[in-house]
Amino acid sequence: MTSARWTTVYLTTGTAMLALLGALVAATPRDGDAIDWVSPMIAGGWMAWTFPIALFFWVILCLLIGFTLLAIRFPETPRLGVLRIETTRGDRLFISLLGSAFLALGWLFFFGAPLWGALALCLVYAAAVFRWV
Amino acid sequence: MDKTQNNKAWFLVLPVLVLVAFSAVIPLMTVVNYSVNDTFGDNQFFWAGFEWFEEVLHSERMHAALWRQLLFSAIILAIEVPLGIAVALTMPKRGIWASTCLVLVALPLLIPFNVVGTIWQVFARIDIGLMGATLAALGIDFNIGQSSLDAWIIVVGMDVWHWTSLVVLLSYAGLQSIPEAYYQAGRIDQASRWAVFRYIELPKMKGVLLIAVLLRFMDSFMIYTEPFVVTGGGPGSATTFLSIDLVKMAIGQFDLGPAAAFSIMYFLVILLVSWVFYTVMTNLDKEEEFE
Repeated sequence: MTSARWTTVYLTTGTAMLALLGALVAATPRDGDAIDWVSPMIAGGWMAWTFPIALFFWVILCLLIGFTLLAIRFPETPRLGVLRIETTRGDRLFISLLGSAFLALGWLFFFGAPLWGALALCLVYAAAVFRWV
Repeated sequence: MDKTQNNKAWFLVLPVLVLVAFSAVIPLMTVVNYSVNDTFGDNQFFWAGFEWFEEVLHSERMHAALWRQLLFSAIILAIEVPLGIAVALTMPKRGIWASTCLVLVALPLLIPFNVVGTIWQVFARIDIGLMGATLAALGIDFNIGQSSLDAWIIVVGMDVWHWTSLVVLLSYAGLQSIPEAYYQAGRIDQASRWAVFRYIELPKMKGVLLIAVLLRFMDSFMIYTEPFVVTGGGPGSATTFLSIDLVKMAIGQFDLGPAAAFSIMYFLVILLVSWVFYTVMTNLDKEEEFE
């Protein structure tokens, strides 16, 4: 595929994902003018899904789609990192996500909510994993 | 030959994807949802944020269950791996007795978990159980319903009985794959039995033993049915391992929020171990390719 077509693919996917996020925000209930982030998006609906959960899975979905596109355009080549194991780009994403989950749990254990500090730590950790693992 | 690539074939995967979505992904999503909500059932949810995670992470009860779980896994690994190797070393290498031994050793692996639990539950009973009644007749006080130590002995004994066979079979396969030339070289060097084991057999069994340890760790870390049938987690909570405690919390007390938070952490640990398992396996395969 030409790079022009790839730009189209990126733009289309990006727009679709942003539209999905917009739809999720639009579905979040309003409390007067303010948005009530943690109320069920469908009143009385099954499982009472709320925006934070939707956002969490939206991010995961975006990562999966994004890395799939990347893997199609730039095929993954394994490399040997500091862990002395061969990892591809997808492996490093998995290690980042799984490690981040444990970092967040550790943060909850030592400092408690909110998790903004843990999020920053996870981003640093993920960057390190992608650079050196 | 140039093969035509047709990526439309990927659409054939769609049915499986839909099936997995309903059997795994959506249930997992509901668990995540439960873990951040307070609910009394009846589809009534109240947002709780990370409260349950903090509660479970600091819960004495969870810490105790985790330590019991780790202790259990450590004990059964410490018994089953050396015992499995020892049994594999003494098994005949060929002939009719090799097959006979293999079948006999494999028998416990074929028995369903709850049946194993029932066998050992009855075995330990003071009134009718072979072991319980014999010990009682000898005047030894052995009661898995009252003594934590006795309950542990039975649960560990049961796991050793049930799963040492797996280690035996794996070690046996590893031993069988060693070429005779290695032993001949050992004999020429007048190597002692211990030296043969230490420098020929053990290094050659490294791969299968790693698999055995990881498999047994995973299985024992997730053990539920057998101790549940034998002791029900008792006496008190002496043999309440992680999964037993989880079910008590989720179904017994209907504390769905904390149970979901706990499940997610449990799942993360299992995921981590599975990943290590997978990585070790693939790297072993690669090493063998180079050799």
